[in-house]
Amino acid sequence: MSPLLTLAAVAVFAPAAAALLLVLVPPLRKQGMPAAIVTLLGSVAAVVSAGRILLDRLGAGHAAESIVTPWIIVANKPLAELGLLVDGTSATMLFVVCLVALMVQVFSLSYMSEEPPAAYGRYFALHALFLFSMNVLVVAPNLLQAFAGWELVGLASYLLIGFYFHKPSAAKAAVKAFWMTKLADMGFLFGLLWLFVQADTFRWDVPVSHELANVVALMLFIAVVGKSAQFPLHIWLPDAMEGPTPVSALLHAATMVAAGVFLVVRADPLFALAPFARDVMLWVGAITASFAALLALVQTDIKKVLAYSTASQLGYMVTALGAGNAFAGFFHLGTHAFFKALLFLAAGSVIHAVHSNELADMGGLRKKMPLTATAFTIGALSLAGFPGFAGFFSKDLVLHSVEGKGGWIPWVLLMASAFLTAFYMGRVLIKAFLGAESSKAHHAHESGPAMAAPLVILAVPALGSGFLGAWLASSTGHEYELHFASMTPITATVLGLAGLGASWVVFGSGGTAPFADVIARLDRESWVDRSWELGYRRVMLGAAAVLGWFDRYIVDGVMNLFGWAAIEGGQKARTLQTGLVRDYAWALVAGAAVLALVGGLK
Amino acid sequence: MSSLSQFVLLAGVLFSIGLYGLMTRTHAIAMLLSIELMANAANVLFVVFAKAFGGAGQIFVLFALAITVAEVAVGLALVMLLYRRYDDTLLDLANEARE
Amino acid sequence: MSMLLSTIVAAPAIAAAILLALPASQRLAIRVVSLVGAIISLAGSVQVARLYDRGVGGLQLGEDYTLVPSLGIHLNLAVDGWGVALLLLTGIIIVTGVLASWTVARRDKDFFVLLLVLVAGVFGVFVSQDLFVFFLFYEIAVLPMYLLIGIWGSSHKVEGQGPFRFAWRAFQVGGKEYAAMKLTLMLLVGSAAILVAILALWNEAGGTTFDLTALQSHHFSRQTQMWTFPLLWLGFGTLAGVFPFHTWSPDGHASAPTAVSMLHAGVLMKLGAFGVMRIGMVLAPDAAATWAPIVGGVAVINVLYGAMCAANQTDLKYIIAYSSVSHMGVVMLGAATLNPTGWNGAVYQMFAHGIMTGLFFALVGLVYERAHTRAIAKMGGFSHVMPAVGAFFTLACLSSLGLPGTAGFVAEFLVFLGAAKTQHAWWAIPGVLGAFVTAVYVLRAVKTIFWGPKPSGEFAHLTDAQRTEWFAPVMLGAALVVFGFWPRFLLDFIDGTSATFLNRIPQVAEVFFP
Repeated sequence: MSPLLTLAAVAVFAPAAAALLLVLVPPLRKQGMPAAIVTLLGSVAAVVSAGRILLDRLGAGHAAESIVTPWIIVANKPLAELGLLVDGTSATMLFVVCLVALMVQVFSLSYMSEEPPAAYGRYFALHALFLFSMNVLVVAPNLLQAFAGWELVGLASYLLIGFYFHKPSAAKAAVKAFWMTKLADMGFLFGLLWLFVQADTFRWDVPVSHELANVVALMLFIAVVGKSAQFPLHIWLPDAMEGPTPVSALLHAATMVAAGVFLVVRADPLFALAPFARDVMLWVGAITASFAALLALVQTDIKKVLAYSTASQLGYMVTALGAGNAFAGFFHLGTHAFFKALLFLAAGSVIHAVHSNELADMGGLRKKMPLTATAFTIGALSLAGFPGFAGFFSKDLVLHSVEGKGGWIPWVLLMASAFLTAFYMGRVLIKAFLGAESSKAHHAHESGPAMAAPLVILAVPALGSGFLGAWLASSTGHEYELHFASMTPITATVLGLAGLGASWVVFGSGGTAPFADVIARLDRESWVDRSWELGYRRVMLGAAAVLGWFDRYIVDGVMNLFGWAAIEGGQKARTLQTGLVRDYAWALVAGAAVLALVGGLK
Repeated sequence: MSSLSQFVLLAGVLFSIGLYGLMTRTHAIAMLLSIELMANAANVLFVVFAKAFGGAGQIFVLFALAITVAEVAVGLALVMLLYRRYDDTLLDLANEARE
Repeated sequence: MSMLLSTIVAAPAIAAAILLALPASQRLAIRVVSLVGAIISLAGSVQVARLYDRGVGGLQLGEDYTLVPSLGIHLNLAVDGWGVALLLLTGIIIVTGVLASWTVARRDKDFFVLLLVLVAGVFGVFVSQDLFVFFLFYEIAVLPMYLLIGIWGSSHKVEGQGPFRFAWRAFQVGGKEYAAMKLTLMLLVGSAAILVAILALWNEAGGTTFDLTALQSHHFSRQTQMWTFPLLWLGFGTLAGVFPFHTWSPDGHASAPTAVSMLHAGVLMKLGAFGVMRIGMVLAPDAAATWAPIVGGVAVINVLYGAMCAANQTDLKYIIAYSSVSHMGVVMLGAATLNPTGWNGAVYQMFAHGIMTGLFFALVGLVYERAHTRAIAKMGGFSHVMPAVGAFFTLACLSSLGLPGTAGFVAEFLVFLGAAKTQHAWWAIPGVLGAFVTAVYVLRAVKTIFWGPKPSGEFAHLTDAQRTEWFAPVMLGAALVVFGFWPRFLLDFIDGTSATFLNRIPQVAEVFFP
């Protein structure tokens, strides 16, 4: 095994070892802080290895390195393999994931400190499990291992959303997230099965016909819609905010939800053969980007604003993938991971300080929490595509790739979303950090270094990772050019600045969003969510009730009918035995008579 | 009409009387008597056919008589028990096993 | 001649005999003897796995004792790759089952005697290479269940509904006696069908031998195959919960005591599926190929219908019992694929489901002993008071819904892949849908039972697993994860045997009406 692959193995198995240790040694886990240290050690090892791999990979068009070992054996041949694949894409993703995970874990040290030790330990054990699962997905050399990692991150997500399992709302959100993604994952599974049946492999770069590619790509895309919270399966993501805020930052903003995008980037050779699937992605992405941005505008919960914003940004990435520019999607994934994690952690810092998620309980925090306010502003400007910030470069690339596709409509939708993004982020900035102090914000103060350090560290890539585009492109084998003087970046910049300005005009004076009522009516409560709820309760549980009744009272009823018939028949037959000698004598005579008659007739 | 057929007729009449008694009487003793009549009808036939065609049929009659004695003893003992239990010898009374 | 296999079969039987000689008051001794008997069998099974040469495959570790020479009946024991996997499963389940029964209070001696006799029968089935002895062991495994449920079971009341509600008047539906009687009668009807088929095959092969290898080499006429196969399928299939002959399963499992549910759902249902594949499909290969579309179609109904029925249950044990019906459908679906992928998956699913459902019933037993209710609507927040039980229950659920990293995934994935490879690729669709429905009902159960606010009132002082109660969850839970990440250990055994048997089955099936 080459040194590079050894490093990759460390990145995967260090968190796994941490998770295993914490599962197998309950006392360690239940003491809280030791568990956190174990997990952090695993994450640090993973980050260092991932960083080392990235340095080795970046900038040069190295060939991919991989190693596989047979996993499932059928007919004396390995049907499925597990292994490690290291190339520019996985090296970048690995580093982003590990770094954000480490930052979030450090942040959690302080953020979760009020939890009882057992819960604290459980929290960090789950983080280790998540990092392991995510890395399994990232280094997957084939679709099957990707699926395994995909499902395992879903498990980690489920358990972390349901971390506060005593809250019914958190329990509901966790189960809902699992069901929605599992529903979509059926697409992944069907795609896998069909690909294997037709092409006899799970490899990423299998040469297939257009027809097969379209079918498999569409199937995979269904899973992407679920995992990356695209319309109409996006509804689990806002609910997932029931989890602890650092979890939202890591799983439901920076890394896990981006797994869908990563999957498509990875399976790019397949998607390149599937023009129809790409068209679908283009439209689904654009609709999600604009729809979610609209909904973000009316949320009163700071985490829900960020959740819808995440769905919206994932929509950008999916649109880019649909436009055929996997690198644009991947680049945006990377920058988004940093600035969105930063935003969520800053929001977490605020929530920790004011003990509330509601924007109305915040306000004027700029003075009380200057560091957090600065970090949040950097994240927000990056998200809004402010020139020079990371989000500006990647969003520009996305918008460029969409130019002219689908009759410019996706482009228009994304442009409108760019305006809305700046508008709603301006709203949050103004409501939370400017203006008058609310009563709850009065006692707020900056948190300790464990929470401050990740903000500072993440602010650096949120600001500057945009400049790494060329480097990243060359290491993943793509073309990258900047086109600042063309129409798209100028329009986007103008719209972004206009959005910020508009939010100042509207919200600076304490107003509410225009058309808030109309947008609220578009909110998930009104129809998407309710349709799914209806589908679950009426269709699925209804069918279950019908079938359950049918089984108990018809199928089993028939079985009981046999029993009943035997008992009833026995009762009837038993009365023939009267116990009276006289009756038997009569029967004797009658029998003799019959025999005589039969004999006589013969 | 030969004497053989007269004896067979006699046996038939005896048997029929016994069967009729068994089918219509309800008193245990009367039914026991009816069974005895039927058994004796068979005995008559044994003797008659042995006389007419040879063979050792009479010997079975002796066996049958001996067994009948034992049977009557058991039967009467049962009738005694029946009477003690129900204060009557109506066999229909002993019907607990039915339900 | 190694005596390993006969030791595995005899150990529980001898332990049962020793128990008979012990006074009923020696309660600890009774348990220790039972446990030792079970552990000897498990250790023997592990030793079999070590000795079995996977490179060579086929039947190994053979033993042969003549029983009835005139009819060609031999006590012929040997093990193939499937047998190794299922011996391991049975060993694990019986050891954990004995440990899970540690607290049986009433007539405990009789309980352990019957349990051990039953498991001796199960071991016997998996190593018998003589059809007569196979059937004998099969009956030994099935019959003690009547007493085990009828005496140590639990009852509840069920109101009759629907067009056949008048039939409910005839017996106490929901009672343990009813459940025991229904289970026994249905399985015995199945046994009768099996016996007819076995005798027909024996007769056509010349009436001189019951030896499975000899019968395998005899080519039965298509006509005989065509009517014996359905008898074997439905006869064994009744025990495997094949629709519509699965209805003994919910009532039986719900009424049975913990260890009996574990053994019954965990191992005995596998006897049925094993019988269908090992006897039915291997001895009547042409008919199996012709009947496969029907077997698979019914299996698909099992998977989805069982899952939907489970989604409608409010009693925890009924949920698990219906999930068994659904998961055994996956086994039968794998069997119906008649390709190595599906067959490996079917046998792997037997193992995975055995472990998983054993874990389920062990945990349900723990919960029931404490909360004295099985109605999930009454429960809530149990993870606050029994976190470990909650964690293991979640693990079992994850395997049940086929999460990668658990044994359930490997099995279900192989079966669905095998199904997709057949001419009836659509089988995979209801299969995968069934797995989704499973996710719905198991996670809803977890949420209702274990999540939510801290329980108050009668449930506030429930305790987590204690002392001997730990063994079953830990062993079974660990097995689920180990065999989820490391399926090769078992698949290497299973794979060779599947290939051997599949060689006999024609790849192009004759249809019913040519």
